[in-house]
Amino acid sequence: MPRMTESEVFDKFAQIVAKSLRMDGPKIAPETHLTDLGAESLDLIEITMETETQFHIFLPDKSILETAVEVFGPGILENDGYLTAEGKRFLLRRLPQADARAFEGEVAVKDLQSYFLKVSTWVKMIQDLAQYTPAQCESCDGPMVPSMGFRMKCAQCGREITLRSGEELNREWVREYYDREYRSQAETSVSATAIQ
Amino acid sequence: MDVFDSLVYDSSVTQAGLPVGCPLGPWPESAYVRLDELPSAPNVLADSILSPAEREFWASMRGVEKRRREWLLGRCAAKEAVRSLFERVLDQHLLPGEIEIVPDAFGRPLVSVSSIQAASVKERLLPSLSIAHSQGTAVALAVLNPEARVGVDLESLDHPREDFGAIAFSPDERSLLNSLPPDLRQEWALRMWCAKEAVGKALGRGLSAGLLAFHITRIVTASGLIEVELRDGALEQGPQWRGKPLNVYTARESNFVFSAIIYQQGVVRMKPSRQEILDYLLHKMGELAQDWDYPDPVGPESLLFTELGFESLGAVVLCTAIQEHYQTPMPFAELLAEIGQQQRDLSINELTDFVDTHLGGAAGAEATRRVQ
Repeated sequence: MPRMTESEVFDKFAQIVAKSLRMDGPKIAPETHLTDLGAESLDLIEITMETETQFHIFLPDKSILETAVEVFGPGILENDGYLTAEGKRFLLRRLPQADARAFEGEVAVKDLQSYFLKVSTWVKMIQDLAQYTPAQCESCDGPMVPSMGFRMKCAQCGREITLRSGEELNREWVREYYDREYRSQAETSVSATAIQ
Repeated sequence: MDVFDSLVYDSSVTQAGLPVGCPLGPWPESAYVRLDELPSAPNVLADSILSPAEREFWASMRGVEKRRREWLLGRCAAKEAVRSLFERVLDQHLLPGEIEIVPDAFGRPLVSVSSIQAASVKERLLPSLSIAHSQGTAVALAVLNPEARVGVDLESLDHPREDFGAIAFSPDERSLLNSLPPDLRQEWALRMWCAKEAVGKALGRGLSAGLLAFHITRIVTASGLIEVELRDGALEQGPQWRGKPLNVYTARESNFVFSAIIYQQGVVRMKPSRQEILDYLLHKMGELAQDWDYPDPVGPESLLFTELGFESLGAVVLCTAIQEHYQTPMPFAELLAEIGQQQRDLSINELTDFVDTHLGGAAGAEATRRVQ
């Protein structure tokens, strides 16, 4: 795909949402929440499918926090439904466009819904994932076109590739963060305690 | 004064228990309410039934009118379910404003009743609740047991959908769906979706673990039963369900499909073995057959009508007893009709197989075992 600008992604995504919810596109702004537009759970599924088809990407099937909790183990990022300091640090790093003030004080997991359901969050996610969808064939530079399932095919030489899944990419990001920013820090604090 | 009574008790309220095909199970202390329209203007209703904290939330709610209306409709249904439960079971009359429903940190609705002060009473009496709304209809299911976990969901069949199965279901689940006759598939795809949603709500964290972490292993079209097995992140949320599927009941009523599940935390109902079913049937038949003077020993091969002297009425009583015992509806009417048509008899063995097939992991209270 030729690299799309944020506003191109936004326009295309807003059209998908408008069509799925049978409403006017102009009512959708980057700050709009999909549930505020009346989207129900199956509407979100429909929007996900259409987004994947139109942008040739493979969206993750759970939030980055869920994936991170699976990698970190229970109780580290979230405790009894509330973000820990570590959890806030993680999310602010992962979601640089998030408002740091929104992470002050007690933050419940349910409050993050409003963030994950925001149009601008989807636009950012689509842009991030679209990087992994090649526009041209690696072998012959021919144009890549969608094939069956989450696959792309070169129109010229027929070479096929499988798209990276959003879930897999999220997991890789989390693992890297865990090794680089969490484990090393946790080890440092353990050795610091040992010295004392 | 009971404003709520006059507001809510109109023709739009269904209180006849769960939708057809969803048995209340071993939960007599439960109430199910379906509402298809707001009993009065939204703002009037909000002022009369919401607690101060709820009213604050209502005032802060943004978004389209549909969203606010359905939220309020859900609150009406939920408060009516809790109110009727307290009245019926405890003979205690609550005002809707005394019943406060606030979400926990994960979004699961928690009930508190401001007029109940004593902590010990509170602990024992607070109901577990689940609410769902879609396309202008809301349902709520409340169980007077804080240890119970409940989940309900509904979807409209009138709202045409793209084929969401590609995302919502695994290849195994899709082949389960495709094994059904084509005219049933749209309805059952929605039932399967609702089943996943209901389990997610009962666990308390929705479908956050991912759609495929709620894996449907079996569907029984005759009874509406759907078995859901937890995997990965969902299994971490409900570790007691390892290796044991959860039973969700689904039903179609007018152009909606509904799903419901109730279970007690830490208690898992096991599917009885075939031998256990046979033992129960023999015992029950002994009880029902008044003149049990059959000379030969009664065994699996004994025939219900010609040998054991059951008449059609007796058979109906037996079938009812079996369904009550296992808290599971089974298509006995079809079985008896088939036997009538073919003019043949039914052995205890055949009856056992029939029950075994239709239990599919659903068993009655007697089969309940506490998980360590």
